[in-house]
Amino acid sequence: MITKRKKTVLQAVLDQGVSRRDFLKMCTALAATMGLDFSESDKVVEAMETKERVPVVWLQFQDCTGCSESFIRTTHPKAESVLLDMISLEYTEVLSAAAGHQAEEAMHHVLKNYKGEYILAVEGSLPSEEGCLTVGGIDAKETFQEMAAGAKAIIAYGSCAAWGGIPAAGPNPTNAKPVTSFMKDTPVMLVPGCPPIAEVMTGVIGHIITFGQLPELDHLGRPKAFYRHRIHDKCNRRAYFDAGLFVESFDDEGSKQGYCLYKVGCKGPTTYNSCAEMRWNGGVSYPIQSGNPCIGCSEAGFWDNGPFYTRRAKIPGTQTTINPDNVGLAATALTAAGVAIHATGTVIKKKMDDKRGGGE
Amino acid sequence: MADLNVNPGQNPIITETGKEVKGTSETTLLPHRAAKYNTITNTHVKIYVWELPVRVWHWINFIAIFALMITGIYIGKPFASASIAEDAYYSYLMGWARYIHFFCAFIFTANMIFRQYWVFKGNRYAISHPFRKIFWVETWETIKFYLFMRHKKPHFIGHNPLAQLSYIIFMGLGSVFIIFTGFFLYFEPQPESVYGNMFFSWVPFVFGGDSYTVRSWHHLVAWAFMGFTVIHIYLAFREDYLQRNGTMSSIFTGYKMEPKKYVGEKDEK
Repeated sequence: MITKRKKTVLQAVLDQGVSRRDFLKMCTALAATMGLDFSESDKVVEAMETKERVPVVWLQFQDCTGCSESFIRTTHPKAESVLLDMISLEYTEVLSAAAGHQAEEAMHHVLKNYKGEYILAVEGSLPSEEGCLTVGGIDAKETFQEMAAGAKAIIAYGSCAAWGGIPAAGPNPTNAKPVTSFMKDTPVMLVPGCPPIAEVMTGVIGHIITFGQLPELDHLGRPKAFYRHRIHDKCNRRAYFDAGLFVESFDDEGSKQGYCLYKVGCKGPTTYNSCAEMRWNGGVSYPIQSGNPCIGCSEAGFWDNGPFYTRRAKIPGTQTTINPDNVGLAATALTAAGVAIHATGTVIKKKMDDKRGGGE
Repeated sequence: MADLNVNPGQNPIITETGKEVKGTSETTLLPHRAAKYNTITNTHVKIYVWELPVRVWHWINFIAIFALMITGIYIGKPFASASIAEDAYYSYLMGWARYIHFFCAFIFTANMIFRQYWVFKGNRYAISHPFRKIFWVETWETIKFYLFMRHKKPHFIGHNPLAQLSYIIFMGLGSVFIIFTGFFLYFEPQPESVYGNMFFSWVPFVFGGDSYTVRSWHHLVAWAFMGFTVIHIYLAFREDYLQRNGTMSSIFTGYKMEPKKYVGEKDEK
């Protein structure tokens, strides 16, 4: 296993009987996935020819394995070429054949031999409460902190690892927090989504292999290449938004015509992700294209951001969402009622003062 | 009290018995920025309270907020659909709503910056003194006045301190909130532009982290403006009704009619 990893990516590919031509195709596709300019694809080729496969440890905490499921459905590059050629997946609960002590040993082997070289991929949030999550009898927090300290970089896959996600949604019984709350110093990249897009998951690994460092991150720590724009900015239904043509309910004519889903609760205007460009299942479609409003799964606290099919506003600092216009209108009406009462009082008082003969 | 006589008129308050009493924040502070007035009757003066820039600012603000509120509610909850329910090509309803909203937002912002300048340039009725104790003492007396309680609220020619406080909270703080959250939302499609960087580097951290919370702030503060407007208009009419001093016309003309004693003069017999 160790000798296999010492091979470069190119060697690993050729050993599997893949032609160099196909290798170049793979590199070009990967460059495109990573959001690189076409002229930079030779950098990817060079990296894959010279760099060794990167050891990866994939830890799962409070999650649903959806991120792993998404990952293995990547098409550009294909999952098998990522798993077998580009990286050396040393520890993973979903895909590994080994189990029990054998698997645990593999993880510690990485920590011992590849300190500062391996990538730690994390899926799921961590509970702050003791004993809520143990793997092999060890508290997950300890395992994470031990592995995080020795990692070259951490990739927080999915909304749970990045923001806390569903385990951290109210009432949050385990006091779950994003993995970033339990670590320091190691460079970390957030790849939120529930799950993240498969090609995004592999694209960021490809970037680390190619350039030896994390891609450019935005103000929240997400790779800019994939989280630069909102879904709304690139939406295929955007023209209907600007035109003022909206789906009012899921069985109306507008729904059949493919009008904008804003009024049925689309969270596209507040969601940063590349669904509208990358799309899902090998670029076939994405929720809005298929007629379902975006639920904003890659945003912090998305599970608490109100019903999926209604437009709401959040009361800042709480997990409560309200219909801002109804509440605002009610508050204004209440104010007007208060004004009417106060005005009546003012008139009565003035009449009384006038009768008494001294206004001042 | 000696220096109060530097600018005769508007400084000491003379009660009906002819005795000088301690002035209000309005009559004692900033004597060099006192407003001009003319004697018009034996008992009253016509005082120029709201200077032209303040009035222009007020009405631009009114128009901007009115347009922003209507287009803003439409953007949050599109209450009308395009009349031609066909291809997107034929209509631009939301596009226009947003265009007007953004246009008015820039006017609103520029107007607010100008008004901040006028705080230092205008007359004494253009400024507040929230860092002085007397401001809060008078605010409390004003609250008691509005609650029909026994109070020692003196008459204010300009805004009373409670009104000033409401402007600081809604027009000041509220505008800061709505302007910064608004520009964050405006530049969301261009986070890496110069302007985008100006807001993305800090707005989301101050206003709850994600785009949704920033948007919620923007929406809720907008409704706070609505509530403010209702109270503001009511209290202006109320002042006019109780004082009969031309409060309502003063926002058009700038002048209020005030008894002479409030500017420190005695009635002529």
